[in-house]
Amino acid sequence: MTDNKKFTTSRRRFLQGLGAASVVSQVPAFGSTLPLSETAPTVIRANGQKSIVCIFLRGAADGLNMIVPYGDSSYEGHRPTMAMDLDDGLIKLDSTFALHPALAPLEPLYRNKRFAPIICAGSTHRTRSHFDAQDWMEFAAPGNRTMREGWLNRYLTSTKTESSATFRAMAIQELLPRSLRGAFPVLAVPSNATNKKSNDNLDIFERFYGDSGGMLEGGEMVNRDRENDEAGVVESGRMTIETLRRFQEIVGKAPKRRDRNETVSGSAYSSSRFSRGLEQIAKVLKAGEGLEVAGIDYGGWDDHTGEGGVEGKMATRMSDFAQSLSAFCSDLGQDLDNTTIMVMTEFGRTVRENGNTGTDHGHGSTMFVIGGEVNGGKIHGDWTGLAKKDLYQGRDLAVTTDFRNVYHSVLKNHFGFKSPQEFFPDFRPSEIKSLY
Amino acid sequence: MKLPSTNHKLEPLSPREKIAHLFSRLAFGPRPGDVERVLKSGISAWLDEQLQVKASTNPDLRERLSEFETIDLSVADCSEFIAQNRADRGATEEEKKAAKRLKRLPMGELMQAVALRAVLSERQASEVMVDFWRNHFNVSFTKGDRIYSQINDYEREVIRGNVWRDFPTMLRDSATHPAMLNYLDNHLSRSPPSKQELKEIERRAKRKTGSETQAAEAVTLATQRGLNENYARELLELHTLGVDNYYSQDDVVAVAKVLTGWTFDGGRKGSHEYKFDNSMHVEGDFRVLGKRIREDETGDNGQGRQLLDILGKHKGTSEFIAMKMVRYLVSDVPAEKLVKDVANVYRKTDGDFVAMVREIVGSDEFYSRANYRNKFKTPYEFIVSALRITSAEITSLRGLENYLKDMGQPIYHCDDPTGYYDVAEAWLDPGVMALRWQFARDLVGGKIRGVKVGDAFYQQVPTDASPRLWQHHLTNMVLPGGAGQRTRAALTTITTEYLEKSRTPDFYKAAPNLAGLLLGSPEFQQQ
Repeated sequence: MTDNKKFTTSRRRFLQGLGAASVVSQVPAFGSTLPLSETAPTVIRANGQKSIVCIFLRGAADGLNMIVPYGDSSYEGHRPTMAMDLDDGLIKLDSTFALHPALAPLEPLYRNKRFAPIICAGSTHRTRSHFDAQDWMEFAAPGNRTMREGWLNRYLTSTKTESSATFRAMAIQELLPRSLRGAFPVLAVPSNATNKKSNDNLDIFERFYGDSGGMLEGGEMVNRDRENDEAGVVESGRMTIETLRRFQEIVGKAPKRRDRNETVSGSAYSSSRFSRGLEQIAKVLKAGEGLEVAGIDYGGWDDHTGEGGVEGKMATRMSDFAQSLSAFCSDLGQDLDNTTIMVMTEFGRTVRENGNTGTDHGHGSTMFVIGGEVNGGKIHGDWTGLAKKDLYQGRDLAVTTDFRNVYHSVLKNHFGFKSPQEFFPDFRPSEIKSLY
Repeated sequence: MKLPSTNHKLEPLSPREKIAHLFSRLAFGPRPGDVERVLKSGISAWLDEQLQVKASTNPDLRERLSEFETIDLSVADCSEFIAQNRADRGATEEEKKAAKRLKRLPMGELMQAVALRAVLSERQASEVMVDFWRNHFNVSFTKGDRIYSQINDYEREVIRGNVWRDFPTMLRDSATHPAMLNYLDNHLSRSPPSKQELKEIERRAKRKTGSETQAAEAVTLATQRGLNENYARELLELHTLGVDNYYSQDDVVAVAKVLTGWTFDGGRKGSHEYKFDNSMHVEGDFRVLGKRIREDETGDNGQGRQLLDILGKHKGTSEFIAMKMVRYLVSDVPAEKLVKDVANVYRKTDGDFVAMVREIVGSDEFYSRANYRNKFKTPYEFIVSALRITSAEITSLRGLENYLKDMGQPIYHCDDPTGYYDVAEAWLDPGVMALRWQFARDLVGGKIRGVKVGDAFYQQVPTDASPRLWQHHLTNMVLPGGAGQRTRAALTTITTEYLEKSRTPDFYKAAPNLAGLLLGSPEFQQQ
């Protein structure tokens, strides 16, 4: 399904066929609210490659402080100091829900029906441990301690073909998120991957790991050929060199920013690690090299203290998160049509605020699905309400949408991939109605 | 060409290779001269010295360790240290910052002490096994709060203090240590309140607040208290029997009940030490692993101690511990026969660590060609061995923390109760090599704060050595176990290029670069 060679050799014919529709119908991604800059690249990702960008908010983000249930009669009572209403700048989505003011940069996406928040989403497992919950969400196997392959890696493995592109998946961080761990080789691009020092390293260590080195003559001091003993390392080193180079080529080829805070399409990334990571991902996606899956983490959402409402630690973080994500979507331009962005967190937080304007570990939270094909602009998922009797264990938001159903729906609708039996261990997924 | 390479696989290790192998498995790699020294004195003498129960530390290390304020403190004293330095209500921002820094001092000092010992200690076999048990009985600073005052004592008493004792002892000590009980939540595990207790709670809350709703809430909260299976499960799965070996979910629940009341006195005025709280204990006899464990009629922790005895003597424990030790010291894919032999030694000696390690390093399997340099170093092993082989001069090891963090293995920060994995599968993500190459070059380039590869290291190369042989000398120094053809050829080319380019070749300009490349070579990533 990602025959890269075929795309390059018969790209024209391919475009005339499958991809033509999306090229011809130049529907602006954001209508009039976020116009694409005039200098935006006019060629969209030529091969029509579909991609998933998976964003994990580590630390259990408070969904109730993102998609705020201002219309729920119990909301204010639970959060005497943190609750907000429309006068505080909440962005009304419907009679019950509003977007936190700090998420304002995402409003245009919602209005243009590209942003689908799913409320009461998460894992039904009762754990409130970050570690277990993150693991199980990324392995898509709650309670299962033997599954060690990430759900996205399982997807890559089960759709692998002889001619698969070498650059199907990557993460912009030093170690892979668990969702990408597993049998299929995925590149973890370290944050310093594009500096000059790192280029030098690739060139020089290629002599120790690359193909040519072993063939060289001049082995007067050779005692033994020990290639086999180090085979795994050599292979990993070689792959590091190949893919990092490829990555640098792609990133280097992309048009340069005109200044620090502006992309070619005029969207403003921030200087945060997350923002810079998204910018790198956008470059690779736009290069049309067959990237299908990209993963990136945003840490620090464990707001036990000082989470706050309109203002607070979480608002500051959300503001950067939303600005970065909006810049990313705007940077992608037409390519957003071929992209699904998923935002998830391991669990939600207590409905009640604690004594430190924060919240403790809870249960249900919120997931975001964003993309050109997504049926956005409305709240998805069943709302159970915040009345005490409706809460999980009397304290937390219930889970009415299992995160695996979101995975399943995205894989099926976006990639046309029907998860085989046991893709989700001990779980039969069902599709979420009208998500796409 | 295929044939000789198949044949040399069968060739026994040369004496030099044997020693290099021993140093890479039962030490964090050799320091300069180590291999030659043991070539003369013999392997058995080195082993006898290393496997002594009484560990002595070298004076230079002891002096460095004496600079730390908190590593010798008990949990109680460490808690007191942190409490004394707590910021008051009206503290200024600066005072708060200082308090926060002091709260983290025990953590920072322990992380440094661990790395210093690994690099500098002459008791290398102890250090290697301490690292093994540290991961087997993992606890982590990521738990936050009270754990800051608990791990220093844990490392010293439970891990280091027992490293040449026996498994049942270490198991018992871990099970009664506040760090473990806290890390795996056992200190909260208790019998759910009875109906009568709930009534009492409701009555008291009503009297205190005068509100029916608040009283009802107090009852709801109380009903949520109860059994916590976290430690019970890990005790069976990770500490003793191995996942789903010999036990069922019913056993997990029974073990959790047996261990209710195993907690610590954590209040502000408490002793902070382990205690058995009978009021939290679920009363009754329980069936665990097919055996009935009777309630301790004296109201003490006898029931739990019986359980630990059973686990310490269990066949499954001997097999699981033997497998893990062989995997750690010999191969990612442990040979069945050796595992069986080591498990037998466990059963004969009641889990004696010296006897088990001797069984492993005395086996033919250990020195087989197939296992020679066939295990991928973890990031920690890579960094420690690089500092050792280059005899790096150390003023502080804080500069290493970011490298370890980037590579995913900061000391005592493994959130996962499995501890850090010791197999290549967990560490060989494509991309990690870029980080190792950068580290190797930063180390020899003097870019790591507090750590420097000094002239003494390079002076091992004879001053009259021909420039054409520089790389040869350096290879033997960094890779005393030998280098493959590719590495030697690449290094020769690079040396030749340098010599052609520069009119007056300067050894001290060329050598760090060459040493860095050797540290980044495939051979150096393996142990």
